[in-house]
Amino acid sequence: MNLDKVIAGFFIILAMTLNFGFFYGDALDMHMHSKYELFAAIIVNIIATVLKLGDKTQMGSVLIATSLVADLQLIAAASIWTIYSVDGTIDPEVFGVIISLSGGALLANITSVILYIGDTLKSKR
Amino acid sequence: MNNSSLWIVLQRMRLPFTIIVLTYAIAMAGLLIITGFDEQGNPYRMSIFDAFYFITYTATTIGFGETPFTFTYPQRMWVTISIYLTVLGWFYGIGTLVSLLQDKLFLSEIARAKFIRAVKNIKEDFVIILGYNDTTSEIIKKMIDDNMRVVVIEKEQQRADYLSLEGFIPHVPVLVADVHSPTSLECAGIKSVHCKGIISLFESNLLNMRVTLASRILNSHIMIAVRSSTDIETANLLDAGANIVENPLAIISYQISMALNTPSLFKLENWLYNIDNLDCKTFSIPKEKIMICGFGRLGKSLYNVFAKNGIKPIVIEIDIDIVSEAIAKDIDTVVCGNAEDRSLLEKLNIQDMNLIIVATNDDTTNLSIVSTIRSVNKHTMIVARENELSDFSIFSAAKIDHIFLPSEILIHKTTNAIINPLSDKLMRLLQSKDEQWGQQLLAKLIKTINVNPITFELNINKIEAIELYNYLSKSENSVTLNEIRRSRRDREQFNNIVPLLISRSQEDILLPSYDYELKIGDRILLACDENSQEDVEYIVNNVYEFHYIITGEERNYLNKFISRS
Repeated sequence: MNLDKVIAGFFIILAMTLNFGFFYGDALDMHMHSKYELFAAIIVNIIATVLKLGDKTQMGSVLIATSLVADLQLIAAASIWTIYSVDGTIDPEVFGVIISLSGGALLANITSVILYIGDTLKSKR
Repeated sequence: MNNSSLWIVLQRMRLPFTIIVLTYAIAMAGLLIITGFDEQGNPYRMSIFDAFYFITYTATTIGFGETPFTFTYPQRMWVTISIYLTVLGWFYGIGTLVSLLQDKLFLSEIARAKFIRAVKNIKEDFVIILGYNDTTSEIIKKMIDDNMRVVVIEKEQQRADYLSLEGFIPHVPVLVADVHSPTSLECAGIKSVHCKGIISLFESNLLNMRVTLASRILNSHIMIAVRSSTDIETANLLDAGANIVENPLAIISYQISMALNTPSLFKLENWLYNIDNLDCKTFSIPKEKIMICGFGRLGKSLYNVFAKNGIKPIVIEIDIDIVSEAIAKDIDTVVCGNAEDRSLLEKLNIQDMNLIIVATNDDTTNLSIVSTIRSVNKHTMIVARENELSDFSIFSAAKIDHIFLPSEILIHKTTNAIINPLSDKLMRLLQSKDEQWGQQLLAKLIKTINVNPITFELNINKIEAIELYNYLSKSENSVTLNEIRRSRRDREQFNNIVPLLISRSQEDILLPSYDYELKIGDRILLACDENSQEDVEYIVNNVYEFHYIITGEERNYLNKFISRS
C-alpha cells in the first residue's frame, strides 16, 4: 500500500465529489446549493492542486493544468457570490452564473480523476 | 523540463502550501460555526468571505481588528487558537521559501539555466575554452580581437568570478562545472552549428584525452586543440581525434633546433606568431661550451636537440636518481648538484661557458640560478624557462637574454590554428624547408613590404569576394594574382604584396608566382601592409574598383549595359 498514492488519490477524488455535491440540484433553487459545500470544495481543490505540484512528467503537467482550471472556476464562483451577496439576496441570474461556473469546475475535476485513473492503470505494478 | 529551477521551488513548497491551506480552513470553519452578536445584540453568523478576510490579516500578523462586529468570548477563544495555527503556518512557508532561494543547488541551477540561455543566444562563431588562468585569459583576449566569441567552462567558482570581473566585451558566458562530465560540454553548446573549436590546455594528459574523446563523439566537425607533454601522448591524442596537439616543451626544443640550424626560418616563425619583427636580433646559439641546469623533460629534450647537432652540453641536476639514470644511458656530462650553489658553478668553469640554459620547472629556482650565474659571470648568454605568465615581469627585469615562454607559444599556436588556419598550414610547410629558402623569403618580404608585414587571408567565395566570385563564375574569365596586386590609385602600379600560400581542395601552392591563376574556392594567404590589404578588399568586393582594375576604365552607366549583354 503506497501511502503517497492513497493521500493523493483521496484528495483528488474528494475534490471531485464535493464539487459534484455543490453542483447537483435544481439550478434555480438556492436552497439546494450550500455555500459551505462550496467552501469545502475550494479548500480540498487547492490541497489537491498543491499535492500535484512538482511532477515533471507530461501526465503530471496535464493533471496540474486541470486542477488549476477547477480552482480558477470555483474561486470565481465564490468571488461572485461574495460580491453580489453584499447588497442582500442574490437574484436567480447571478446564481445561475455561480452554478455554471461550478459545473465547469466539475468537468475539470472529472477529467483530472480520469487521467489519474488512467495513469494508475497504465503503471503495471 | 526546461525550467528546472521553478520546479524545484514548487516541489519544496508543497508541504508549506498544504499547511497554510489546512490551517486557514480550520480557522475559517470555526469562525463560521460560532455565533456572534452584533451591536444590537442580535445573533449573526459570519459569512465565508468575512471569515476569510479576518483570517488573512490575522495570519499575516497585520491585525486590523475584529470585524464585522466586536467578538464574543467564544469567538475570541477560537481566534486565539487559530492565531497560533495560522501564523506558525505562514512563517513556516516563508521560511522555507527564503531558505530555498539561498540553497546552493537552487542557485547553481539558476546559474546553469542562465548560462545555457546565454550560449543559445550566441548566433556567431564561437570557441569553447576549458579552464580560466593566465594562459587562457590571453587566448580569450586574442580571440575577441579577432571577432571570435568565447564560452568558458571553469571548475572553481573563484576563478569564474575573476573572469566575470574582467568584463570582456562581447560577453563571455562562464559555467562552473567539472569538465569530466560530458553534460557540461553539451550545456556549453558543443553541438551547436556555431561552435568552431574547443581548447583544452590542462596539465593532466588524462583530462585532455577525456575531453578529446567526448568532444569528438559529440561533434565530429569542430577543431579540437589540446596540450600534451610527451610524444606518446601526442600520438594518442591525434588518434583520438584531436586536430591540434601542442607540446610546449617540444616547441622549445624545436625552436632551439631551428635557431641552431635555420635561423631565418626561426625569424619567419616568430613573425608569423606575432612575437617579433622580421629583423629581430638573431638569437645565435653557440656551438660549444653550453650548460643546461635541470634535467627534467625540458632539459632532456634540449640535450637531445644539441646531441643531434653534435654538441654535448654539461648538465647539472639535483636529483640523484635522474642523474644515475642518465649515466646509465651513456650521458656522461651530467653532474649531480644544486645549480644555485656558487662553488659548484665555479668548479665547472662557468666563466668559460658561452650559453647557459636554465630549465628547471620552478620559476623561483630559475631566477635564483640566474642571479647566481650573473654574480659570477656577467657576460655569458643566459636563456631561462618561464613557467607561469604572471612571473614575466620578474624575469624581464632579471636581464636574461632570451626567455622561453611555453605558455606564450602555446597561446599563439592555438589561436593561430583556430583563427588563422592558413598561417598554421604555412608554418607546417615551412618546417620542411632549408636555410637558403628561408633567407630568400626573408629578404623578399623585407624588400617588398617592410620589417613587419601583416598577413591577410582571402577566401574567394560569395561572402568575402563577391565581385571576383561573380567574375570567375563565367568560365571564359581568368584572373591572376597580378590583378589583385594592382594599386587602386593607378593600375599600372603594384601594391606591396607577397603571396605566401594558396590552398585548394587537393593541393597547397607555396609561394605562388604572380601570374598564377585563381579559381573559385581558393583560400589565399598574403603578406602585405595595411594599405594593400584595404586595396585588395576593395578590389574583390566593389564593382567599380574591380572593373577599373580588370579593364582599366571607369565603369559608368553605358558600360554597365554593354558589359551585361
